[in-house]
Amino acid sequence: MAAIIVTACEVWLAIGLTVGLWFILAGIERIDPAARGAYAFRPLLLPGLALLWPFVVWRWRQLARSSGGRC
Amino acid sequence: MSVAYTPVGWNANKIFYDVALGLAVAAYLWIFMAVAEGMAPGARFDDATIEMRAYGSCAFLMLSAILCIGPLARLDTRFLPVLYNRRHFGVMTCFVAIMHARHVIAWYFAFSPVDPYVALLSSNTSFARLAGFPFELLGVAALLVLTLLAATSHDFWLNFLTPPRWKALHMSIYAAYACVVAHVSLGALLTPQWQAMHVVMPACALTVVALHLAAAARQARLDRTATMANEAVGWIDVGEASGIADGRAIIVPLSDAESVAIFRNGDALGAIANACRHQNGPLGEGRIIDGCVTCPWHGFQYRLEDGCAPPPYTEKLATYNLRSANGWIQLDPRPNPPGTRVEPLHAPARP
Repeated sequence: MAAIIVTACEVWLAIGLTVGLWFILAGIERIDPAARGAYAFRPLLLPGLALLWPFVVWRWRQLARSSGGRC
Repeated sequence: MSVAYTPVGWNANKIFYDVALGLAVAAYLWIFMAVAEGMAPGARFDDATIEMRAYGSCAFLMLSAILCIGPLARLDTRFLPVLYNRRHFGVMTCFVAIMHARHVIAWYFAFSPVDPYVALLSSNTSFARLAGFPFELLGVAALLVLTLLAATSHDFWLNFLTPPRWKALHMSIYAAYACVVAHVSLGALLTPQWQAMHVVMPACALTVVALHLAAAARQARLDRTATMANEAVGWIDVGEASGIADGRAIIVPLSDAESVAIFRNGDALGAIANACRHQNGPLGEGRIIDGCVTCPWHGFQYRLEDGCAPPPYTEKLATYNLRSANGWIQLDPRPNPPGTRVEPLHAPARP
């Protein structure tokens, strides 16, 4: 059981890091104007993006839709 | 704020705060390790055990201090400087807790035949017993919450999650503290040699609870005053003009969700909404710095005359009208639209 939990955590974080990298490279500027041209702070977001990645994906989609394709 | 993000919004106050905090943590760890054997008469501990307990007790004390700062600042404004930059306090606490966990894993599980994390989760499964309960899992839960809070402490997360969700997430600090108290109670406190923790842990936990109850009682009194004031129609008497110190404010509650901060800047009085646009920090507990009302939580600033953040920032607060009647200040409880300029009320400063 413990091995399953540890493996699940590793998979969760691996997916989270992938989503997080994708987000800070390709998504963040489209949903937050204050991130445009700002790069130094982005690595600080990776731990949170990796931990909360399902919410990040949902919120990313929500904000991208509400921007109406302006970006 | 509304300009481009930076990794850390450094200023002189934040640098001083962080340096002082870092030095205090280093001093605590050094003193703990130096006197650890004196704290455990009759028992000799190895260096690894002393180090893990030094980091663990430091993280517990830091977390207790963080939870005391909010109510202390509400009960006594002299604690407001400690409230400023509390976020960095939290992130540093998380790092100290991670160091504690690293020492625990390195000492107890590094040479396990299975993965150290698997060993951590599976070495003790006595969930039915109080003595011998797997307190390690409570520590894991607390560390997970602390890590999540530290990882979402940047301003980006406030905008991305929205303030209500961010606030709700960060209220889980109380769940983390409960886990830490249980972790210490079922772990270190069952070790008879560490007598100091038998006193320190309950004292800290009781202090946190007592301060929150005292702050809640004070808020309840303010709310009752607000209810009485709202029963009056029109302008509200809020006190004598000389009762507001220069650069400071009084807070006038209008309802459960709304209050007004009336600031004095020299001979001028002005009123703005009390909730900072950043994280709803209590502006009325802040002071005027460089001519601007400055939030005690993270230093966001607003002009008193129109509630606008100085350029290049774009945040705006509602302003309120004041008038003087027989030496008393009166407040119109109806807010002006955010950013509306209001001529300051001139009233002599406190002699």
